[in-house]
Amino acid sequence: MRSPGRFSAEAKGRHGRGGTWVLPLFLLSPALALLLGVVAYPICRAVWLSFHRFEILRPDLSQFVGLDHYRDLLTDPVLRIALANSGLWVAGVVCFQFLGGLIGALILNQRFPGRAAIRGLALIPWATPSVLVALMWTWMLDGNYGLVNDLLVKAKILSRFQPWLAQPWSALPGVILADVWQGVPFFAVMLLAALQAIPEDLFEAARIDGASPGRVLRHVTLPLLLPTILLTVMLRVIWTANYMDLIMIMTGGGPGYSSLTVPLYAYYTAYKRLDFGSGATIAIVQVLVLAAVMVFYLRQLRKNEVMVQ
Amino acid sequence: MPAPRRFRICCLVVAALAVLFVPGGFTPLHAQTPTVVHYWLWLDDPTAPMFDSLVKEFNASHPGIKVEYQLVPLSEYHDKVVTALAAGSGPDAGRFKDWWLGEFVKLNALEPLTPLIGKWPGRAEIIENLWETGKIMSSGPVFMLPHQFITFYLYYRKDWFAAAGLKPPTTFDDFLVAAKKLTDPTKNQYGFGLRGGAGGQDQWLAFFSAAGGRLVDGQGKVILNNEQGVKANQWYIDLFRTLKVAPPSAPTDAYAQCLGAFQAGTTAMFAHHVGSSVMVTQKPGADSVGVVPIPAADPKKPATMVTMAGNVVFAGSKQKEAAFTFISWLSEANATDKWSSSREGQLPSVKSVSKLPRYTNNPFFKVSLDSANFAIAWPPLPGVGYVSAQGWQANMQRALVGQISSKDMLDEIARALQR
Amino acid sequence: MRRLVAAGKLWIPLGAWLSFVLAPYGWMFITSIKPPTELYTKTVQYWPHHPAFEGYRLLMQTTPFLGYMRNSGVVALSTCAVALCAATAAAYCFSRIPFKGKGILLFGFLLTQLFPAVLLVLPLFLIMRSLGILNTPPALILAHSTFAVPFSTWLLTGFFNAIPRELDEAATIDGCTRLQAFRYVLLPLSAPGVAAAVTYIFIYSWNEFLYALTFTADLRARTLPVGLQTFMGEYIIRWDLLTAGGVITALPIVIFFMLVQRHLIAGLTAGAVKG
Repeated sequence: MRSPGRFSAEAKGRHGRGGTWVLPLFLLSPALALLLGVVAYPICRAVWLSFHRFEILRPDLSQFVGLDHYRDLLTDPVLRIALANSGLWVAGVVCFQFLGGLIGALILNQRFPGRAAIRGLALIPWATPSVLVALMWTWMLDGNYGLVNDLLVKAKILSRFQPWLAQPWSALPGVILADVWQGVPFFAVMLLAALQAIPEDLFEAARIDGASPGRVLRHVTLPLLLPTILLTVMLRVIWTANYMDLIMIMTGGGPGYSSLTVPLYAYYTAYKRLDFGSGATIAIVQVLVLAAVMVFYLRQLRKNEVMVQ
Repeated sequence: MPAPRRFRICCLVVAALAVLFVPGGFTPLHAQTPTVVHYWLWLDDPTAPMFDSLVKEFNASHPGIKVEYQLVPLSEYHDKVVTALAAGSGPDAGRFKDWWLGEFVKLNALEPLTPLIGKWPGRAEIIENLWETGKIMSSGPVFMLPHQFITFYLYYRKDWFAAAGLKPPTTFDDFLVAAKKLTDPTKNQYGFGLRGGAGGQDQWLAFFSAAGGRLVDGQGKVILNNEQGVKANQWYIDLFRTLKVAPPSAPTDAYAQCLGAFQAGTTAMFAHHVGSSVMVTQKPGADSVGVVPIPAADPKKPATMVTMAGNVVFAGSKQKEAAFTFISWLSEANATDKWSSSREGQLPSVKSVSKLPRYTNNPFFKVSLDSANFAIAWPPLPGVGYVSAQGWQANMQRALVGQISSKDMLDEIARALQR
Repeated sequence: MRRLVAAGKLWIPLGAWLSFVLAPYGWMFITSIKPPTELYTKTVQYWPHHPAFEGYRLLMQTTPFLGYMRNSGVVALSTCAVALCAATAAAYCFSRIPFKGKGILLFGFLLTQLFPAVLLVLPLFLIMRSLGILNTPPALILAHSTFAVPFSTWLLTGFFNAIPRELDEAATIDGCTRLQAFRYVLLPLSAPGVAAAVTYIFIYSWNEFLYALTFTADLRARTLPVGLQTFMGEYIIRWDLLTAGGVITALPIVIFFMLVQRHLIAGLTAGAVKG
């Protein structure tokens, strides 16, 4: 049995001289080892690539070109299109994934028979491999025998089949729809987990006070979910910005450049033009934009005084 | 000796014996470890045992060499090879496409095979003009050993043609008449399955060449955006934009969509090659489908497109001779026949095999082989890799939806080819 | 009547939401039982005339699909173990131990997520090769853990922070060590967070494609996403194998979550701190 004084001794240390370093280092070391050991080098390499003209087979012969790649990108019309598309892509996807996930979390939080099974089923979009999500949605959105067209025509909303993925204005929205479907369960699970942390008594109190479900949602649930919402939305923004599998399979960035996003453009530049230097530069442009977004978000989180105690 | 010590000595003896007799622990001096050749490839039907049995046959008949292969999906093949090469590793040999020849030779990634071919008895068996597909310059070395190739032809619904009183198309005029007659948007039926999506550049090149356009002139200079080329390209674009004989989904239709449309009865004509003959015979069925060479603008100057899937040895390999032994074995009559007659099958590069009745009696193979006489390939320029992967697709789509003109599209492609 | 309305308030939205969530999967299932001749038809066919489970049989018997599934399972479960340990330790540290530079470190964790995988795959390949683990499960376990740790850490830190420190302190005053307080107080109360983190790590690893393709495409080590892609050839697309594979690939995750979701129950912290 340890003496009760042990905790207070540590407390003294905490308030006194800034705490011991040993325990934090020990606890953080696995995570830090993974991140520094595995990811730091590739990230540095990526940055290095953007300042060089990379020779694929003789990397040692790569030439230093300074800011040339960045300068070339300033006048690249395709990059501008890609950035605009990326913005639309991220906004559309995250917005609707979040809404769909929130609705799902609220529903799945209720008590009803078969809840376990239904919660399991709710994960299916997230559990389906991306290649199949892309293929199935391409088929469903097909302009000749797609399910979506068939249903819309039968419901008299459309008069004739639309080739959704072949039209510049509807290609990206089509892929957004597929990604929204795939990502709704992610938000549903995260928000469901966060909902559990809200004590029942708060809901009871609100109900006793006569608040309608809508007001409970607005004034009790959402504010308490805000830290989780901010975290998951921020990370989802970053992941979505970098997610190109669906676009690559469903439209290849087309027709033309109408669904080309920044990571896809970086990929084509690196692997198809065999210009790794420019490809890395394009990716870093997006990294800088996302980093700015992240800093803004973190300020919001700090305001919620959740992360830093 | 005390018991524990005896026990310890026993353990040591057992361990030493184990090391001696466990495979790999100690190789007796007279045995020879075979040279391991790593070979990468893509296959159409991974469930078919054809390639696996070929490798087993080779390993059994060549005791000094052991081939270990890796199957990579085609869509990822090029990227995986690039990554491996950039990391200084990679296979000894691999299946290869003529699209990538220019860019890989520029990187000095491929081993020139001419000296090894000189010692190979099977070289006389290869169809003469196919050697060009593996070279950068006619007078230069061979980098890619010919293996399986395809030429483009045109499938058409012979039942619909018969019902409409149309004859199989041989000229552009025939083609347009048939396409217009068989297009009826109200019945969701279209004359021609134009492919604007991934991989459509081969079919486009077939029609572009048949219309009189050329990518390069005799000296290898890029001329596709000259007046002739712009007109030829405009003809192709008009099929979709003005004549509307292609389905509205054409700009992003890839292979799956084009084949599916033909199978479902949405399109009357579909340009492809022998690789899809099995699927097409299944549905809509051999009785409904006919095959003709690609129609020509000028019947006296027919043209189509040929693309070769050959084999290469990578420059970084430490087992070049053994690797070449394997790939040249694949291009001999026995292995080639087994490959071409399987579900994977494309056209054989070996003279004797191409004369076998099972190919000459197959209408799809026959039309393909006959078309080889006037088939044009992508030039071995480094820019072809990019154009075939992304450059053609993006610009063709922009032209099809009206964002750019035919000349703009060809200018962009010319620029990419010349990089 | 009132009960009907109350039931309606739940089942109608649930039904609508579930329809959206399950429809494409249903379409995939229908496609998997259609014979090849019924795949592309002029009008949309909702239910096949001659449903057949041939695709499933071929998938199990003629392809290494079960081997792919075993590999994916090994990698995903191992990644869960490794990443969860690292993330939980780090999250405990961020939540319960004050030290300088915490904010910067947390920010640094996120920095690793900013880069697209495509850019990092080449240097990662070099690392895996120099460690000698190419074409083995450890290469993937390492790569997946590294990318799953930042989000899991942040998530768990948030959940730990939501549990009042007073509870830890109460436990320690009662005589527990830090580790015991963590095991018996903090961890059970943050079960929803752990459940969410485990789900995320498992699914990420299970469906990850690019690193699996680059580091372990050898037949012995190949995982499900890469295996499924091989059913798409240049000219032959095996829809039967692809869709059957897709249907089956999602099921282990569904079962996994049905077990894990038991921890997503409310009210654990209610009344835990009196006064």
